[in-house]
Amino acid sequence: MSQREQETDLERAIARAFARGRYSRRAFLGRTGRGLLVAGSALSLPSILAACGIGPQASPTPGATNGNGNGGTGTLDWANWPFYIDQDEDTGESDTINQFEEETGISVNYREVIEDNESFFGTIQPSLAAGQSAGWDMITPTDYMCQRLIRLGYLQELDWSQLPNVEANIDEVYRGRPLDPNNQYLVPWQSGFTGIGYNIELTGREITSMDDLWNPEFEGRIGMFREMRDTFNFALLRNGVNPTEATFEDAGRAAESLLEQAPLVRNYYGNEYTDGLANGDVALTMAWSGDVYQLQLDNPNLRFVIPDEGGNLWVDNLCIPTGAANPEAAHQMMNFVYQPEIMAQISSYVQFISPVPAARDVLAESDDEEEQALAESELIFPSEATLDRVYGYPDLSDEAEEARWLELFQGVVQG
Amino acid sequence: MAGLTRAERPPAPAPRKAWTSRAGSWILPIFTGLAVLYLFLPIAVMIAFGFNDPAGRFNFTWQGFTLHNYATIFRFPQLTEALINSLIVATISTVVATTLGTLIGLALTRYDFRGRGPLNLLVFVPVATPEIVLGAALLAFYVSVGLARGLSTVIIAHIMFNISFVVITIRARLTGFDRRLEEAAMDLGANEWATFRKVTFPLIFPGVLAAALLAFALSIDDFVITLFTAGQATTFPLWVYGVSRFGVPPQVNVMGTIIFAIALVFIGLQIWMQRRAIVSAAPTRTDR
Amino acid sequence: MRRLRWLVPYLFLLPGGVWLLVFFAIPMVTMLSVSLQEGSLGAGYALTFNFGIYPEVIERWSTQFLRSIQYGFIVTVLALAIGYPMAYTIAFRGGRYKNILLLLVILPFFTSYLIRTISWKFILADNGFVLGTLKEIGLLDAGFRLLATPVAVISGITYNFLPFVVLPLYVALEKIDPRLIEAATDLYASRLQAFLRVTLPLSLPGVFAGSLLSFIPAVGDFINAELLGSRNTTMIGNVVQRLFLTNNDFPQAAAISFLLMGGILVGIYFYARALGNEELTR
Repeated sequence: MSQREQETDLERAIARAFARGRYSRRAFLGRTGRGLLVAGSALSLPSILAACGIGPQASPTPGATNGNGNGGTGTLDWANWPFYIDQDEDTGESDTINQFEEETGISVNYREVIEDNESFFGTIQPSLAAGQSAGWDMITPTDYMCQRLIRLGYLQELDWSQLPNVEANIDEVYRGRPLDPNNQYLVPWQSGFTGIGYNIELTGREITSMDDLWNPEFEGRIGMFREMRDTFNFALLRNGVNPTEATFEDAGRAAESLLEQAPLVRNYYGNEYTDGLANGDVALTMAWSGDVYQLQLDNPNLRFVIPDEGGNLWVDNLCIPTGAANPEAAHQMMNFVYQPEIMAQISSYVQFISPVPAARDVLAESDDEEEQALAESELIFPSEATLDRVYGYPDLSDEAEEARWLELFQGVVQG
Repeated sequence: MAGLTRAERPPAPAPRKAWTSRAGSWILPIFTGLAVLYLFLPIAVMIAFGFNDPAGRFNFTWQGFTLHNYATIFRFPQLTEALINSLIVATISTVVATTLGTLIGLALTRYDFRGRGPLNLLVFVPVATPEIVLGAALLAFYVSVGLARGLSTVIIAHIMFNISFVVITIRARLTGFDRRLEEAAMDLGANEWATFRKVTFPLIFPGVLAAALLAFALSIDDFVITLFTAGQATTFPLWVYGVSRFGVPPQVNVMGTIIFAIALVFIGLQIWMQRRAIVSAAPTRTDR
Repeated sequence: MRRLRWLVPYLFLLPGGVWLLVFFAIPMVTMLSVSLQEGSLGAGYALTFNFGIYPEVIERWSTQFLRSIQYGFIVTVLALAIGYPMAYTIAFRGGRYKNILLLLVILPFFTSYLIRTISWKFILADNGFVLGTLKEIGLLDAGFRLLATPVAVISGITYNFLPFVVLPLYVALEKIDPRLIEAATDLYASRLQAFLRVTLPLSLPGVFAGSLLSFIPAVGDFINAELLGSRNTTMIGNVVQRLFLTNNDFPQAAAISFLLMGGILVGIYFYARALGNEELTR
């Protein structure tokens, strides 16, 4: 500790950067000055007035255009999850967004307002149902929420003529997904795995199988998700069923397995499973890959594994809701981020699975050691072997079918 | 004995259970002290973790002491904005709700009028409604009347639920209010407004203050209703919940600590000012 | 001007009343109509006056309703037990520092709810610095836990609503003229008797308000059960949350909400009568 006190701020920051692998020295050294300026302006009068709702509002006029696709004007209102774009460690500035703004002249209103899919949907649904704009040009929901949005007709079709970079660089695996067979609505943003996160000190051994989540040895210290698809997938996989082909009967048997498991489960978690894992309250739990990686930095006893029976692959997608004021800007942003250098920049910070394989080459060729290491990371560029072991989700595009599954699941998690 | 005046009556015998009364006199403050400690225990943890230096995005395991988080509190521009929004919303909604609620309270407890039953109902029911239904119903309402969602719609919602809490709290003060004090003032020539200012208001003030504090606390901590009515705007609770998906950064603890420290400073100032007031009010030789 | 005196109460209640009418009553009437509708988001809703949903909901969720009422009751009793002495001390012993003490009571609210809960989860962690130490010295057995039990949920709710109880109680107690208590002791009452016969009855409006402000929100709470509880502590608020947000089953969620509201109002009515009607519901 005393040695650390002697290091300068700069050195400490670099050491942290290596430890976290979150951003390159280039990013850190380049942006500090600018960042402080912007941080100060957050408290300026215009921003306070804007916060009060006084001053120019981005008016949600449906169908407002801003000319052709190149060099547009106006604003892009983008709703995303927190920590889901590259951010400077000390200022919160995003290189990607700054570069986009410079290149296109479009001003980006990037808001990290998505905390979970369902509550976000709850906030946009009334406007969209009434045929009005929800106030966003681009949103980033997860697969199943995209399915719901498509089904309800709340998403605009994409104009692929404006997306040459996406066309060129997208990983083949994302073409023609059952969710969106003709890629009409969705452009993948990042993906991740759902597997088992566990504390090897508490479990006493390595965990490799789904069966351990059903193991009475860990009674009271098992975590499952309260989100229907992730949890049902695990039960289906354990029963040897491929989730993407599961029928309602399969779901019934899966629900029975889950009910058997229920007395052993500590709780059905949402985002907050992480503190249980960190505190040692749960020995093993369903978990997302990126989270466990972060927790590991503070507690090396934590591990992540994709179970033998299989794991889940979820995808967060960029899409454009109906009534968006500036869909052109949204297309431009989609096109912009699909450049390999930009996606490399994003992935090296966010550390979820990148949809652009070429980004890996960018990182591998970088002078930066850390970035080279990232190119080898299974977390960001998983191998074929790993991808073979993960599955998508059941096709619940029919509303009534989805409702039946949901009701079945509610009986499991709410006793 | 009954016919004697108070001065003439022999003094009451010393309480038979002297020790319980002595015990009683310190049990209460100790209990209250313990209760206040209990209230602040999680705050202490919050403050401590503001100094934590985690390697990852989560702030659950103590890694080491650092002041870096304090240096980088503006790391999240949306956090600062969210905090300011929360303060604005809480202040405005408290002032408005306390005023409107006090008026309703006065109407209910001092006057007999038709419609007090339905009014009572209207006041009680919001407290009984699950927040999610309130929030969603309001959002649907805003959409149907074309009201753009933002801070103003949040303020409207907060005023709405705060009115009920204010009325319920303040009635405990207003019931049994001795009207004769007001009548006496008016007999002495004061008009309605002066009576209110000089007699009524000072007497109900503790109730008004307590109700205002409650409304402020409710508003600044509200999540569900705010989530539905905020549109693109963020408030502190919304921001924290949003970030919690990927880890609550230590800067949030720092913000919480700073708020807490400011409040303590404010309290300290109050205490100091009151001491001065007492000192300066003490009679000096020039007074009679 | 004298002739317009009858207008005064209406003028007083007009601004607040109109606010509540427009921003509460109207949206809630819409919700009431939603509860009687059938359909889905995709297929659309039709107002079929499906009153049958109410008995269905009662039957399906009776466990959770009862559990919530039970928890709410325990929370209120605990909150009063802790809050009454606090309010009493502040009102009678607070002196110059009364307002400051009140501010201290609500200060924890200025930090985010999530931070407070995370802190509690840290404090109450199975093997954290409290329970872990007790387990090591053998006072508790290794499998003991507080989190993910009803105890944690009830404690969490009580913690959150304590200020809601303290403030109204303080308001009522502070109003009591201390000379009344003096008079009682002059008349040879012991301190306990003075409390029971003078202070307590006079503070009833505060007890009423405080118990309402803790019981009612407690019954509808969902967040404590979600973060601190387990499957077996599911409260009716969690059910509404899930029906609304996850299942998008608005009619069922609305129906449950109205049942909750109705049940609570009935309860308040009887409670007020039990405590002596006149003063409280004036």
